[in-house]
Amino acid sequence: MSFRARILIGLGLIVLLPLAVFELRVRADMAGRLTAEYQRRVASLVAVIRADLSRDSAGTAARLDALKDAIAADNRFRLAALQGADRAYLLDYAGNAMRVTGLAMLQVQDDQGRIISSGHFRNEYDRVEPELPRLLAAAPGGMALVETRTAEASLLALARADSLRLGGRRLTLVGGVAVDSGFLARLAPDSDLAVSLALPTDTPTRVDSAAQVVSALAVPFVDLRDAPSLGEARIVVTHSLAPLAALRRRVDAAFAAAVLLTGAIALLLASWLSNWISRPLRELARRTAEIDMERLDVAFESDRADEIGALSRLLGAMTQRLRAGAARLREAERRIAVGDLARQVNHDIKNGLIPIRNVFRHLLEAARGEPDRLAAALRDRQGTIESGISYLENLATNYARLYPQPAREPCDVNAAVRETIRRVSDASRGELKSVLADALPAVRTDPLVLRRILENLIGNALDSLASPGGTVIVGTTRGAGGDGDSSVVRITVADTGRGMSREELNRAFDDFYTTKPDGTGLGLSIVRRLVLDANGALRVETAPGAGSTFIVELPGEAE
Amino acid sequence: MIRAHHQVLLVGMLVVAACRGAAPRAELPPLAPALAHADTACLIAAGRPASRDTVTIALTEPVDPAHAPLPRNVAERFLFAQLYETLIHVDCQGRVLPALAGSWEQGAAGRWTVTLRSDARFWDGAPVTARDVLTAWRARDSSLAQSIAVLDERALSIDPSGRSFQRFADPALAVTKSAPGGGWPIGTGQYWTTGAAGGADALWASPMAGAGLPALKVTVAPASEARDAVDANVDLLLTSDPAALEYGRTRPQYQDALLEWDHTYVLFAPEASGLELGALRLESLPQAVHVEARAAQVNDGGLWLADLKRCDVAAAAAPTLAPPRRRIVYEQADRDARDLAARLVGLAALGRGAVVAGLAPPAFETAFRGGAEAAYVLRVRRRTVDPCAAARELPAWVPRGSITPLIDTRTHALVRRGLPRLSVDWDGAVRLVPR
Repeated sequence: MSFRARILIGLGLIVLLPLAVFELRVRADMAGRLTAEYQRRVASLVAVIRADLSRDSAGTAARLDALKDAIAADNRFRLAALQGADRAYLLDYAGNAMRVTGLAMLQVQDDQGRIISSGHFRNEYDRVEPELPRLLAAAPGGMALVETRTAEASLLALARADSLRLGGRRLTLVGGVAVDSGFLARLAPDSDLAVSLALPTDTPTRVDSAAQVVSALAVPFVDLRDAPSLGEARIVVTHSLAPLAALRRRVDAAFAAAVLLTGAIALLLASWLSNWISRPLRELARRTAEIDMERLDVAFESDRADEIGALSRLLGAMTQRLRAGAARLREAERRIAVGDLARQVNHDIKNGLIPIRNVFRHLLEAARGEPDRLAAALRDRQGTIESGISYLENLATNYARLYPQPAREPCDVNAAVRETIRRVSDASRGELKSVLADALPAVRTDPLVLRRILENLIGNALDSLASPGGTVIVGTTRGAGGDGDSSVVRITVADTGRGMSREELNRAFDDFYTTKPDGTGLGLSIVRRLVLDANGALRVETAPGAGSTFIVELPGEAE
Repeated sequence: MIRAHHQVLLVGMLVVAACRGAAPRAELPPLAPALAHADTACLIAAGRPASRDTVTIALTEPVDPAHAPLPRNVAERFLFAQLYETLIHVDCQGRVLPALAGSWEQGAAGRWTVTLRSDARFWDGAPVTARDVLTAWRARDSSLAQSIAVLDERALSIDPSGRSFQRFADPALAVTKSAPGGGWPIGTGQYWTTGAAGGADALWASPMAGAGLPALKVTVAPASEARDAVDANVDLLLTSDPAALEYGRTRPQYQDALLEWDHTYVLFAPEASGLELGALRLESLPQAVHVEARAAQVNDGGLWLADLKRCDVAAAAAPTLAPPRRRIVYEQADRDARDLAARLVGLAALGRGAVVAGLAPPAFETAFRGGAEAAYVLRVRRRTVDPCAAARELPAWVPRGSITPLIDTRTHALVRRGLPRLSVDWDGAVRLVPR
């Protein structure tokens, strides 16, 4: 797993896990508190409904009591009820009384239970219904729910009964208030609380306790259907848990938003952090991968003050030590090669000298023994002498060709730059400028090598210009060495040419690689070799279309 | 789509002709002379009239010009009787009197020849021609129109086959023509009007020139405000509201004139309705309503629905399915129909759990046609000129179902003393009689 992925996962867990735990805790706490609150509200409402029903019952009793007095004082009613006169008045009496008293149900029954006047169902007169007053009297508190009839539909009323004596006959008044949807709605103080009525005659419905808080209040119920009896209805109070569910959804949404936001922030942060950490590491890795014995000029400069900067500088110093080591190694190899060569030369020279020494001994013996044969002997051995000398001459020539030994002497880089610019300047190829630093330390190298380095780099730069309008700037600066104590002279050759792609750059220092039609492909390869021989470093900064800058760093002389 | 006057046949149930429940006949009645001034057989409140220019009328049911000339309630019946005219009048005793028709006779091949009154005029002054009569009838009874031939400007020849001459007293056959811009159709009656009645505004009806009648100021108010009309000294109040009548009787200047038992509430039930009326105490029904009522009289020959067998409509009716709804429906504006339906439910005519339901007129019309309800309570006119024609307007399921007359009702005329003379037609319509 990459360092970047680990940072992402780690940061995600650090941010999201506490959030999830926090939300679960909040949800659980919220549900517990709200459910308890709902249960308290439902219990309170049940108590209020119980009190309301008692008050309604008392109100109905008071109205029936007042109606009894009115009936007792009404001679017209008396005549109609006892003597059958003015039947229309009697039939309409309950309806009128019902409207006056505000009752929703009122019927007057005689001592046989016959309805002689009904307010809620005027034309139900003469129907015999003795069970209703009896059952109402038997109900706890004298009050019960009654499902009675009207012409259009059934009517559910909270009713009670009362009676009076009129002319020796006992009349019963049954009155009540309507228990309809409006009545139930008035009992519920707000939309979260619902009050419903469950009659024994209703089909039982399943109560979903997960969706609501439920409590019930038992109320006597008179069932007047086939077998009149006293049963029990229930006023059911429910508090919907929908507000809790809605609150949960809002909390979930808020947490989801928080998770998304913090997750996004964490992602960005982790991405930036991982990039901030891993990018220089990847760059270091890339540069390190470029290092080999032939490519020890990779720069590891860094101005970072952290561990990565230190690592970069350590790698730079290591590379510099490797360069020095490689130079020493090459020097040692060269010395070994020179030793071998010396032995070879020694051997070859001895081989060349031996015939000459032999001729010389022969001549010397001829001079001592037969002086007069000296000239003849010289003539005889002249060929041998000339052949030996020729051999040695050839040998010397050949060795001279074999390895030019560069001289190492303090060189003024600025002077070398000026001399090279003067020699290669050609306005037809492009403008050539120099930006030279003052007080540069001298570099110890072969002036010829320094000249060849500059000629190659400047010549290549001029060749890279696409048109005569281009510019080549040669600059010199003073820099610090990889160990921080020594100094280097930095030579930059920057052009405004076409630049190089990554692939071109990777092959730029290979032998025989060229992009020029008449190039040999050896220029940059020689420059790099010469720079390394001079214990220096070479690097390139380039991009397609943005020109190229070749940077040569040569160790400066200690001052 | 049922034609407008046919709707009235259904919902107001029915309509006119001369005789009391008489069978169709093709006899031409003798031309009767105008009734003598001393003939008071059909006059109501026949006191000594006082001379006056305006008579104020109070009606307790709505009046809609769109219904003219066929009335749908007592108020319209009174007003339309003043505004529109048929060929003949039939008085309360069944006597045929000239109206638009000045004379009639049996013509060639047994056809009736009717000659219009020479001075008959529309409200706009145009003379009434035989072609106007034909045009008016063509829009309301095409078969009748096809049997008529126009002889000249004022004479019509009518094929009497299967017809009663009294049919020409049917308000549906009043001669009218459309008024430009709508409103009241232009008639030929003794009065004309262009106004509207309702709310605080009174409708004024002006007498035609030479009619010798006072102007009419007609107010239409709910029955609950009928006593206010009495307090306002209205000249004539047509109402069945018992409170208003009782109040009016306490005022010495008023006379309560009883009109005929002209309406019967009938219970129509489809064949499979499950209606059980045998054990019910239907004699208690008059107590269920808030108007003067009596148990329905079916054997006095006054109710045309009493005998439909002779009309041969039952065989054409298809069997009906059992009504799916156990309820008794009525037209919701009819309070007495509601009371009767409620009483029937109270008597458990449909068993426990049945209810009543009031329907708006269009819905009631549709429901009655469909026969999908358990029963229908409907107010019908007791008399019709042609019972079989009326029976054919009934829904197809009716002949196979049950028809139970429930109660008879009637309207009272509370008449202020000194009013011009009022006569009553065969159908109970009250008409001002010229001096």
